[in-house]
Amino acid sequence: MKIKITALFLTSLFALSCTDLDEDLYDRVKDDNFGTTPSEVEALVGGAYSSLRGFSDGISNSFPGSEYVFFLNAVSSDETVIPTRGTDWFDGGQWQRAQTHTWQPSDGMILSAWRYCYAGIAKVNSIIYQIDKSGLTDEAKTPIYAELRAVRAYYYYMLLDMFGNVPIVTDFEDQNLPSNSTRQEVYDFVESELLDALPHLKSEIVYSKFTKNVAYSLLARLYLNSEAFIGVARWQDCIDMCQNISGYSLNVDYFGNFATENQTSGEIIFAIPYDHTAGTVGNYMSSMSCHYLHRFTISPTGDYPWSANGMSAEPGVYSSFEEGDIRRNAMVEGEQINLATGSVIIMDSGEPLIYTEDIPDFTNSTQNVGIRLGKYEMKPGETWERDHDLVVIRYSEILMMQAECYVRLGSPGLAQPFVEQVRSRAGVDTPGTIDLDFIDKELLREFLFEGRRRTDNIRFGTFFQPGWELGTTEPYRAIFPIPETVVNTNANLVQNPGY
Amino acid sequence: MNSKNTKAGLYQVRANKLLMLTVFMLLFSVGMYAQGKKLISGTVNDKTGMGLPGVSIIEVGTTNSVATDVDGKFVIEAAVGSTLEISFVGYDTQTIVVEQNTSTLNVTLEEGALMLDAVEVVSVGYGTMRKSDLTGAISTLSGDDLLKGNITSTSRVLQGKVAGLAVVQDTGDPSAGSSIRLRGGTSLTASNSPLIVVDGVAGVDIDIVQPNDIKSVDVLKDASATAIYGSRGANGVIIITTKSGRKGASIVYNGFTGIGKAANNLDLLSADQWRGYVRDNNLADAVDYGGDTNWQKEIQQTAVSQNHNLSISSGTETSGLKASIQYFDNEGVIKKSGLERLSGNINAYQYAFNKKLKFDVGLMANIDKWNPVDYRVFERSFNLNPTIPVYDENGDFTSVGGTLYENPVEILTNRTADSRRHRLLGYFKTEVDIFKDFKAVVNTSLEHNALQADQYKPSYAVLEGRTENGYAQKTYAEYTTAQIETYLTYSKLFDKHSVNVMAGYSYLENVYQGFGAQRSGFETDLFGYNNLGAGYSYRLGDVYSYKGKSNLVSFFGRANYSYDGKYMATATIRRDGSSRFGANNKWGVFPSASVAWRISDENFMNWSDNWLGNLKLRVGYGVTGNQDGIGEYKSLSILGVGQDSYYNPATGTWSLAYSPTQNPNPDLKWEQTGQLNIGLDFTLFNILSGSFEYYSKQTKDLLYTYQVPQPPYLVGTMLANVGELSNKGVELTLNADVINKDKFTWSVNGTFAHNKQVIEKLSNQTYETDIIYSGSLHGLSGMSNQYSQIIAEGYPVGTFWGKEFLGFDEDGQFILSEEEKAIGDVQPDFIMGLGMNFTYDKFDLGISGYGMFGQDVLNATAMMLNDPNRLPAYNVPDSYVGSGINSAPTYSSYWIEKASFFRLQNVTLGYTIPFENIGSKLRVYVMGENLAVFTNYDGTDPEVNLTGLANPGIDRFNNYPRPRTFSIGLNFTLAE
Repeated sequence: MKIKITALFLTSLFALSCTDLDEDLYDRVKDDNFGTTPSEVEALVGGAYSSLRGFSDGISNSFPGSEYVFFLNAVSSDETVIPTRGTDWFDGGQWQRAQTHTWQPSDGMILSAWRYCYAGIAKVNSIIYQIDKSGLTDEAKTPIYAELRAVRAYYYYMLLDMFGNVPIVTDFEDQNLPSNSTRQEVYDFVESELLDALPHLKSEIVYSKFTKNVAYSLLARLYLNSEAFIGVARWQDCIDMCQNISGYSLNVDYFGNFATENQTSGEIIFAIPYDHTAGTVGNYMSSMSCHYLHRFTISPTGDYPWSANGMSAEPGVYSSFEEGDIRRNAMVEGEQINLATGSVIIMDSGEPLIYTEDIPDFTNSTQNVGIRLGKYEMKPGETWERDHDLVVIRYSEILMMQAECYVRLGSPGLAQPFVEQVRSRAGVDTPGTIDLDFIDKELLREFLFEGRRRTDNIRFGTFFQPGWELGTTEPYRAIFPIPETVVNTNANLVQNPGY
Repeated sequence: MNSKNTKAGLYQVRANKLLMLTVFMLLFSVGMYAQGKKLISGTVNDKTGMGLPGVSIIEVGTTNSVATDVDGKFVIEAAVGSTLEISFVGYDTQTIVVEQNTSTLNVTLEEGALMLDAVEVVSVGYGTMRKSDLTGAISTLSGDDLLKGNITSTSRVLQGKVAGLAVVQDTGDPSAGSSIRLRGGTSLTASNSPLIVVDGVAGVDIDIVQPNDIKSVDVLKDASATAIYGSRGANGVIIITTKSGRKGASIVYNGFTGIGKAANNLDLLSADQWRGYVRDNNLADAVDYGGDTNWQKEIQQTAVSQNHNLSISSGTETSGLKASIQYFDNEGVIKKSGLERLSGNINAYQYAFNKKLKFDVGLMANIDKWNPVDYRVFERSFNLNPTIPVYDENGDFTSVGGTLYENPVEILTNRTADSRRHRLLGYFKTEVDIFKDFKAVVNTSLEHNALQADQYKPSYAVLEGRTENGYAQKTYAEYTTAQIETYLTYSKLFDKHSVNVMAGYSYLENVYQGFGAQRSGFETDLFGYNNLGAGYSYRLGDVYSYKGKSNLVSFFGRANYSYDGKYMATATIRRDGSSRFGANNKWGVFPSASVAWRISDENFMNWSDNWLGNLKLRVGYGVTGNQDGIGEYKSLSILGVGQDSYYNPATGTWSLAYSPTQNPNPDLKWEQTGQLNIGLDFTLFNILSGSFEYYSKQTKDLLYTYQVPQPPYLVGTMLANVGELSNKGVELTLNADVINKDKFTWSVNGTFAHNKQVIEKLSNQTYETDIIYSGSLHGLSGMSNQYSQIIAEGYPVGTFWGKEFLGFDEDGQFILSEEEKAIGDVQPDFIMGLGMNFTYDKFDLGISGYGMFGQDVLNATAMMLNDPNRLPAYNVPDSYVGSGINSAPTYSSYWIEKASFFRLQNVTLGYTIPFENIGSKLRVYVMGENLAVFTNYDGTDPEVNLTGLANPGIDRFNNYPRPRTFSIGLNFTLAE
């Protein structure tokens, strides 16, 4: 009897037993439960575009509109320098190395640039995988795939430009460690992906989306740099692609392209949209350049975000602009007036804040040296996260690409009308004869601080020649090394030659 | 009862195999009652009325014997006229003759002058054991030991009291907790804090218990002791038992009031020194603002604290009640900071059915309130020029523009931040004597913890208020843990054999959730944070909410066997299943085994009886786990929605994207630690007692967020089980009653521990990592993305890695080595605690302190302050002037200092006025805390955070100064 009672008691105790260990989700979804309705599909594809804003995760900051991706390309070119000011901006010497073309595989900005591209690629691959699994019809899937592959091709274009021999990964489910493809293979991949996508992309202008016009523009860029990338010049192909582009014109006001509400500009072919009320982060390039106290030049109460006193124009850039070239206003120069007092701002050191073109020693600078970046609109009341969209491709670039190709093909006369359009909008005349050197300088002036100068320097060869605070650069530095941590964690990857 | 004697048959109980009980249950054999004898039941108590477990009751002249259960109850069948001998180690033996009418016996044993540890009962998790029967490494503190010193928080009272248990108070902020770490950390990612068990409820917040309510604390150190807690046992277990009602009635009041001031500040230039420097160096552009301000002092205050605790207790033979209430107001030495706590605790027990059934019910609750301090004020208090006055001529806060140069008094004054935390723990426990020797326990409990944090930065606040035009935020976060635990124990004493078997099941469910909202752009500052809707500026992400859940299912069992008090063995096993683990590793098994041998009881040791009171050798090995590092849902492929918005050009509006947020890892599992422990307990000359422990811990499957190659991985990092690390060490605990006279006593207790940690591996077939950089210096000027430490094979966690300082060149520039190398580590070689207690007649004096030796600290505060670019705008340390340093801050071994220290933590002098009624007394005392720190460290305080990966061992501006406190207090006990 006792046994039975005990058994009963025990049974009642353990009847409570529960061994269910499945996780219940409340505020997120498992991937296999998503992507069945049109709005869910739209929310997935949206992720490909949001990836273009980059991310910051404790390993790296890869915002294309401010930190390392932009800095890497800007500082290694002849337009920008980040002087070391006391301790500020030393950061282990990485900006000095970028300036002097002595970067190392361990430099954080190189990892940031790499991760920016591959995080985007992985995301696009995962979205393709989700769309694959969705219940959409094949007809419905085709234009979605085309759009996603075009976004991915854009990332691969940047990898082709910056790193050259990168692995090509297109399958989300493939977890094998990939090995390098050659730069030629990456080039071919970018070209074929864009060409394959083209027929299914939208013909009309859709702001901030990958349309036919955007794909043509990317292909034009690819052909323009084809000689630098793979040693095969394709100037005429570049011109042909440019001529496929339609529906755009130069914005009357050059700075309208860089206004807070720049999405209304009819010149922008592709931009990455930002709006701080929509929670976008990473768009604070405007805070990376001016002096800490610069905000008092914008608002008498200092109602403007703090800025970090970093990026400056290399000496010679400011003075290369003619008097009257409105594009020179992309730079902030000279005495900075405190709007509250009407007199010059006094720095902590007790000295007046005067931005100077001359930078006597960029490894040990005072706070005020260097002319600053002020291309995007700066106005009182702005938040740290800016609202202007980050311009990637403008119509003016399409004009300048054609001009350059005509000069390179030996027909500078045909280049003349393109250059004239660009320069007259800037308020300056165009010389009677245009040569390559002029095109090079004009690209600097037109696209100053737009993150594309390194590519131009390489194409024109100036990248390898001695310059300001720069000796001769070995040809292998035309591409960056694969980041140290990536090589260390993937034994199948071979480091780029020379590094 | 012995079956030979009673000719009784045997039967076996077979439990359900599926429930893993079989192994244990097979051991059980239970005799049946013989006829013609008398059944006698009773209780054996000590003189305070507490039941004594394990008391042996023998029918003299026979082999018939039983032992009392954990509550001191027993049942024996004995012949009328026979004599029962009731004996227990440490107590005087009693004999009682069984009369015809004897049916119940209530015996009170008087303490004998024997070994203390024989009578101490130790909580071992799901039950108790006599200390003398322990086979594992367990340190026990009674409430009285704890309350001699600092009595403000439960974690802090453990400081220096247990060998190998490091309690580090990161800051002097009363609202900040302490980090507790046992025998070196075992984890890179997860918490290294021991599991806290309060009144049988595992995994609760230690601050639910107030020090005055503690009856005893048992610290389970080695794996043979902690394996009963399986996947949560790797960092040790601290079992806290609170006081319960006792026979009779008593009222106790404890109260104190104290004042505290910052014990130490940095020596920075005063306004006069600054002016002298400017004059001597002809700094024409230096701006003298005409004031004389010590900015560190300006943000500080004299902190006044008070504490009142009242508790009542009553009890009868079959019930008991204890209740207490406490109010504690602990001001901080930084203006506006502090902690105010109101707590209450009530518990009761009730026996029924002739003590065959017992109910325990308990409820603890507290409310904390505090104003979080913006720690950015510290760096500013070092930066601001001492000639800047706090207020300008209009009485407004002086505001001088500059980087990290906002007026810190303004920051403290103008922003409002209010935080509240509610804690609640309730349990209901039922114990049933099912039949002879078997007892079943069901314990259900609920823990609830809720944090509400509000803040407002008005539109005139310099930091973030002006730019946001007023900023208000409210956040709420809570978790609730519900547990049910059931277990069955069997205990039996026959001849010299003692057997105790326990098996059980536990189910835990944790649900957490929270929400928050923020707005900026307020037309008026009148509302503070109370009307978020009045803010006109709204951003995505300004409102959020979340919810998650996890569960843990466990089966566990333990068997103890002891022969003649000389040979003891314990085995435990636990099987844990957690929803957090990956699909391929849902269940883990954690076994342990240990043996002990009381050498001093052997006949061949008789020669040493006059000086060796006790000598016991213990050896144990066990496997435990740590699953804290795995958050919910980490193993799954998840689509998240956050601030991942995208633009819709057709409508000009934004929508939210859904994207994968992590690399799924179906192999994710607990970190596993195997630990060998060898211990020796001893008592010499009845004066000196103690124990020595050696341990070796091997932890594998270390969780870490590894950088994984991209491609092929979706996200650049992944939480995975990869590395291995080891901790080896020795511990010594000593207690000496140096003088023990009627009028004068002097006792000394000391704890000493040494631990050596090495990372054995960081890679496996899938993940390869040579070095993980840690100790981030990011955020210090010019040190973006710079690291000061490495985690690498062959080194301990927190190894400083950098260039070695070789000297200064003629310009005052650092000369540094070319190569980077290991230049220090944050792990102490040696930690110790020391306490001394004296009594002389009615006076008592207690002195306690603790120390850590051999650890290195990066004095990043000094590194940044000794910067030639600072003067004249920014202040510098006195020592900088004339130091010749003329180099911008550069991380090197120059800034790494040995931070060995010994802190004289507490001195208490008391005087007790006894009352006629025994048990009632009044004690008054004065107490000084943090009276002195003996160290060569240059910063404000050598005790900096040593745990975690973020910034271990880095002194970096966030030093909330530790107070030096003087208090007077009163203990008043009124007992029937």
